[in-house]
Amino acid sequence: MNARSGHRALTLGVGGAAALLVAVLVLPVGALLLRGGVAGVQQLFTDTELQHALALTAAAATTATLVTILLGTPLAYLLARDAIPARSLVGALVELPLLIPHPVAGIALLLAFGRASPSGAALARAGLSIVGSPFGIGLAMLFVSAPLYVSAARESIARVDPRFESVARTLGDSRWTAVRRVTLPLARRGLLAAAVVMWARAVSEFGAIVILTYNPKVASVLSYDRFTAFGLDAALPVAAVLVGLAMIPVIVLRILRRDDGAAGQST
Amino acid sequence: MISLDRVGARAGQFTLRDITFSIPTHAWGIILGPVGSGKTTLLEAIAGIRHVMSGRIALRGIDVTASAPEERRIGMVYQHAYLFPHLSVDENIAYAAQDASAARDTAARLGADMLASRPVSSLSGGERQVVALARALAARPDILLLDEPFAALDPRRRTSIRAELRQIHRERGMTILQVTHDFIEAGTLGDVAVVLSDGCVAQVDPPDVLFRKPATASVADFLGFENVFSGQIARAVRPADGARVLEFSGCGIGLVGVGEHPGGPGHAVIRSADVVLARDTPAASSARNVLAGRIVSVSNHGALARVTLEVGTSTLAATVTEAAVQEMGFVVGVLAVAMIKATAVHLC
Repeated sequence: MNARSGHRALTLGVGGAAALLVAVLVLPVGALLLRGGVAGVQQLFTDTELQHALALTAAAATTATLVTILLGTPLAYLLARDAIPARSLVGALVELPLLIPHPVAGIALLLAFGRASPSGAALARAGLSIVGSPFGIGLAMLFVSAPLYVSAARESIARVDPRFESVARTLGDSRWTAVRRVTLPLARRGLLAAAVVMWARAVSEFGAIVILTYNPKVASVLSYDRFTAFGLDAALPVAAVLVGLAMIPVIVLRILRRDDGAAGQST
Repeated sequence: MISLDRVGARAGQFTLRDITFSIPTHAWGIILGPVGSGKTTLLEAIAGIRHVMSGRIALRGIDVTASAPEERRIGMVYQHAYLFPHLSVDENIAYAAQDASAARDTAARLGADMLASRPVSSLSGGERQVVALARALAARPDILLLDEPFAALDPRRRTSIRAELRQIHRERGMTILQVTHDFIEAGTLGDVAVVLSDGCVAQVDPPDVLFRKPATASVADFLGFENVFSGQIARAVRPADGARVLEFSGCGIGLVGVGEHPGGPGHAVIRSADVVLARDTPAASSARNVLAGRIVSVSNHGALARVTLEVGTSTLAATVTEAAVQEMGFVVGVLAVAMIKATAVHLC
């Protein structure tokens, strides 16, 4: 085999490997949309249980994301700027929920915030229960998806040169005013992308939620419920709607990355 | 006044050690030093951006060592400008301005008003520096720290911006501390020059003294003194104009020079332009140092030429005109005599 034919074989091999993986990733989703897509769209307008499940899913994911933006952005900043003791340890602990099997995450949440725990008892006295409630759904979503936000937000903030903040401080800003006026605006696209990724992950959560709250049902639990109770055909429309929902953040992320690229070219 | 007393600071693996100097109120201080000597780290320590490990920093006579940058009321301009890219040029200049119309006036004086309508991303390096300077001045600080603020400007613009900043400095009675690699800038702007070397202060003097009397061989080398000889300096022979006439021996040559050296190991420093060449030893001369040697290289630099002689165990460089090289027949291998006045030999 000469060098030219070797190069050609290698090119074909690389292309074939890439095509195979794309096929494995796209085929199931394509099949799902083909078989359940039309029925899913129809059920969006007629199936009140599906409508409620979707509204609950979106509301819980949005609330979990907003709470994480509020609490996670300061944490991401401190981690990015090395301004927190034991930064590596804190960073690792924050990312740990990503590696825990999600039903296990649900069990852990039950232990930490269930009625039997002191914190759960305190929450119950305040009228908040994590079992069988939208609050529990939001908490489960936050637990499994907030690490994605913190991690991506940290990277986004770390990309902003700290000297911008330094200059702002020599111009009279306090540290946190400089962060508000300079660092966060410069990191905004990355922060928005982090929030979108988190929201998408929260919407797709099943394992942790099903441990805490089977009812009221979020969309993923409804899909599972229809599959176990009525079979594949009944689950398909709901599953197809969930796939459609997942496309929204994918499109938003593409737009953000395109804008980011355009901004990068102009600087 | 900017006053530092035994300041130590760290930037990564780099450490500033025992930095001590003062820049008087309304004066223009210059920081010189080779790349990596700690100039930017020093400015950042004064600005409060860089944590100080030891020592004391005082601004306007007040200890600010533990103060936050925003409490120090200083302006700082980095070499890379660091304009806020999410703001327009106008918004950058107005970022900390106390008076919008005064900020516009300052911008106009520096020519930054012409850039107001352009996005920051479209500015050249020099334009960014001008806007960064306008932004810092718009906040009306009485102390301004400048890290090579003119480095990216073309020569014509550099001259005009320098003159305008000099004027603003006088009008506002500011105290400025500027990092530069430009010796002409240091000589024309500076009242006090601080030379940094490897994280330490190597010399603090007015620029005219610095360029005539470098304190150490490394300062002389950095300032471009072509002839630096190591050896022994003998005790004082006789006092002369605040300094002392001293005898130096080293590198196989003996020299008479001036300096304030106490005697012992030291260096003789000579500018190549202060070396006079002849083909033969003159019958009589006021030059106290006459060294015979063989020419080992002649290189032309336009109207000037650099002639290098082998003297003792070292070499001596002389800068002469190209016409002198032609008339005197200075070529490689020819014997020549170098004459240097004692006052042109600085012993340190």
